[in-house]
Amino acid sequence: MKSGSSLPAPRKGKRVLLLAAGLLCGALGFSGLAGAEGPADDRWWGPGEDRTWPEVLDYPNANGILRTLITGGPVQTKGHPFFEPMGPNGRACISCHQPADAMSLAVETIQERWRVTNGTDPIFAAYDGSNCPVLPQGEAASHSMLLEHGLFRIERPWPITEYEGRAVTPDFTIEVVRDPHGCNSGVQYGPENGRISVYRRPRPLANLKYLLAVGFAYDPKQGLTLPRDPDTGEYLSGNLMSDNRAVNLRLQMEDAASTHGEMIDRLSPAAIQAITAFNLSVFTAQQVGAHGTALDSLGATGGPATLRDSEAGALGSIGVPVFSEFAVWETIAPEEAARLSPEQLEWRRSVARGARVFRDKTFLITDSAGINSPMGFGNPVRNSCVFCHNMTRMGNDVAPGQVDLGTTTLPFADPLPDFPLFRITCTGDPHPHYGRVILTYDPGFALTSGRCADVGKITLQSLRGLSARAPYFANGSAKDLEGVVDYYERRYNIGYTAQERQDLINLMSAL
Amino acid sequence: MRHLIALAAASLPVMSASAAQAADNQRFIACPIYRDADAGAKSGCWLVTDPATGQQWDVSQSPYKPDWNYAVLVEGTAADTAERPCGAPVLDPVRTSRLETQCLRHMLPAEGYPGRPFVRPARNISPLSNPPAPPPGPYSERAFTLFFELDRSFVVYQYGDYLLDQAAHWIRATNPRRLVVTGYAASEPETVSGQVIAERPEMAQQRAEVVALSLSRLFPDMEIETHAVTGAQVNDHPDADGIPGQSQRRVEITALF
Ligand code: HEC
Ligand code: HEC
Repeated sequence: MKSGSSLPAPRKGKRVLLLAAGLLCGALGFSGLAGAEGPADDRWWGPGEDRTWPEVLDYPNANGILRTLITGGPVQTKGHPFFEPMGPNGRACISCHQPADAMSLAVETIQERWRVTNGTDPIFAAYDGSNCPVLPQGEAASHSMLLEHGLFRIERPWPITEYEGRAVTPDFTIEVVRDPHGCNSGVQYGPENGRISVYRRPRPLANLKYLLAVGFAYDPKQGLTLPRDPDTGEYLSGNLMSDNRAVNLRLQMEDAASTHGEMIDRLSPAAIQAITAFNLSVFTAQQVGAHGTALDSLGATGGPATLRDSEAGALGSIGVPVFSEFAVWETIAPEEAARLSPEQLEWRRSVARGARVFRDKTFLITDSAGINSPMGFGNPVRNSCVFCHNMTRMGNDVAPGQVDLGTTTLPFADPLPDFPLFRITCTGDPHPHYGRVILTYDPGFALTSGRCADVGKITLQSLRGLSARAPYFANGSAKDLEGVVDYYERRYNIGYTAQERQDLINLMSAL
Repeated sequence: MRHLIALAAASLPVMSASAAQAADNQRFIACPIYRDADAGAKSGCWLVTDPATGQQWDVSQSPYKPDWNYAVLVEGTAADTAERPCGAPVLDPVRTSRLETQCLRHMLPAEGYPGRPFVRPARNISPLSNPPAPPPGPYSERAFTLFFELDRSFVVYQYGDYLLDQAAHWIRATNPRRLVVTGYAASEPETVSGQVIAERPEMAQQRAEVVALSLSRLFPDMEIETHAVTGAQVNDHPDADGIPGQSQRRVEITALF
């Protein structure tokens, strides 16, 4: 982002107010954004505002409408620790976890905030909303990672000394090959000075019961029983954060408060409780797809209500198949079909086919640590998208989801010239696929575990609300859903037909 | 957790008829080839050729499958079947252990071979939401065993984890006083396909510690002690599936009352 002028035109701050459920559930689907138009910034929930968060909150996006539900009644934002600024930079949790963006933050929204506030919105805070605090903060160029890729700076200590409550010594070294922003070198920053900076997307803070669910007592990728929660003694799901550095919501929010929030005091127990309760109450998913198609129409069970009402943590392969929410659209009765426009009918069928492609179209998965090693599946192993994205309704991983898809690590990562690049040298056993020396933009889980075998592993996200929160992957390297499929094509040489590709994209747009 | 690094003398060999039928047991080192037979998810074929005889075998039924970049130690017995879904006679039961020797990655097309549709192995753990019924009593001192790849301490999915889980269900039902975890390493050198192989002696302790860590997470208040035994001998534990080398590379969990 070299100048503000390349930013796209502002999005209409149109918010669809209380779309009547009856309208959406009908066989006719939804026929237009009939809602009232709010004030221009109604979409944006700023820290410290005095608003009422309703039980049903709908916002349009390019592919339809995203719906966010909360359980337990409307929430008053004033005085609520999720919405009140945490510290001097003026940010609250809501700053980076916005309801219109599926509780993440779309890059489009970030660009709009830059324009609307002239770069003064708290999300652009020097600490992690700029490429590096040492840069001149008034310039868009100093915030290019956020403005262009939707990425916040994540600073991790190096070397790490503890993992899962036990002392560790990393079995790899880190050197900085390239440091375009200055946060991995100099007198203050960089692994030499005990801090390493990577850049990551905010993960969607919704449907959390699924991310916290534990299906089995074992982590098959580590070959160990799951560790226990230090607070509750329960098994940990292992599915939070790209690198799983915070294992439960309390540790996560303390991390968020002291880093993103630059909070000096600790969060009070009451604040922790209020934030946790709110986090757990939020469910989000696309509610209306293309051509005004209600995603819970004609017997389909898309949308967030199903997420809210279902049991979390089931493995699709032994229960309800992943994204079978839309299976009924494979066989739409002729009399129902007659009431739909040809586009509406075809789009529904395409989404249903897309779910089949997601589950059934197999390809050879190669050199992806966490899957091809050390579990015993073999390298290569033939499987489909659902192999890794295996949780019913959510598409995250039932087992702790640390997998190296290659998004951040060469040779599989896309060229990212404006990212810092690190050289990892394994000092013990070489990495099972990369060998002894690895070039990576983000070592991922290895920054938490200290093991070279974990370099490049990123915890799988859930796949819900995708339409509202581009770009994708932890480093934002897929600009849109097309970009996601194209990455998988390059990575695994899948060979989707044009139809399969479009079906898969339509499916993802409907989640 | 208490660690007793008692490098005891090798335990007594317990050889039964099944384990002693060495003649049937194939054991060699080879580079694996992947045949892309497509009968759905997890259906690919793994082929290896015994360098001593030139005989090609289908080793796809191993609980831990090869990596096409690395040589494998193959251990198994010829299956009593004329079917060749991957194009070679079948070793089953079979094990393939990944070695550090690099191989040239090679893939064959399916060439009309159907491969095998994936069947969930009998050794699979049940979800926490659906725990199996507690094992019937009476309960007294009892040992459980799980098995490993050559020179590795990783508890393999749908094999080692299942055996550990079986132990866990029994321990939960019986609530013993303490657990003794003994790791074994097949550390005595042997020559296979002209190469000398031996497990690192420290593998015995490493295996014991990995399993003890898992047990300590399953039973946070249980007293657990670890032992290590090098020079492990063959036994005839049924879950080693009659493969002598597999039976050596093990951990035993003993529950004491
Ligand atoms: C400056 C932006 C920002 C603020 C403010 C912020 N977060 Fe986040 N949040 C992120 C980013 C970036 C990640 C992903 C980090 C990673 O993967 O390493 C994240 C991840 C999370 C996750 C993990 C979700 C998952 O699926 O793994 C949770 C939970 C979370 N945040 C909660 C909070 C809470 C609670 C607050 C307020 C105390 C907060 N966040 C404030 C940016 C922010
Ligand atoms: C080998 C395991 C694996 C397979 C197979 C797989 N994925 Fe993923 N997927 C991942 C991992 C790991 C991530 C997180 C990577 C990252 O963020 O850099 C991910 C992330 C994603 C995301 C981004 C989500 C977000 O919030 O940014 C999408 C979308 C996605 N996968 C779709 C698919 C589709 C479609 C397929 C089939 C073509 C597929 N995945 C197959 C492991 C896998």
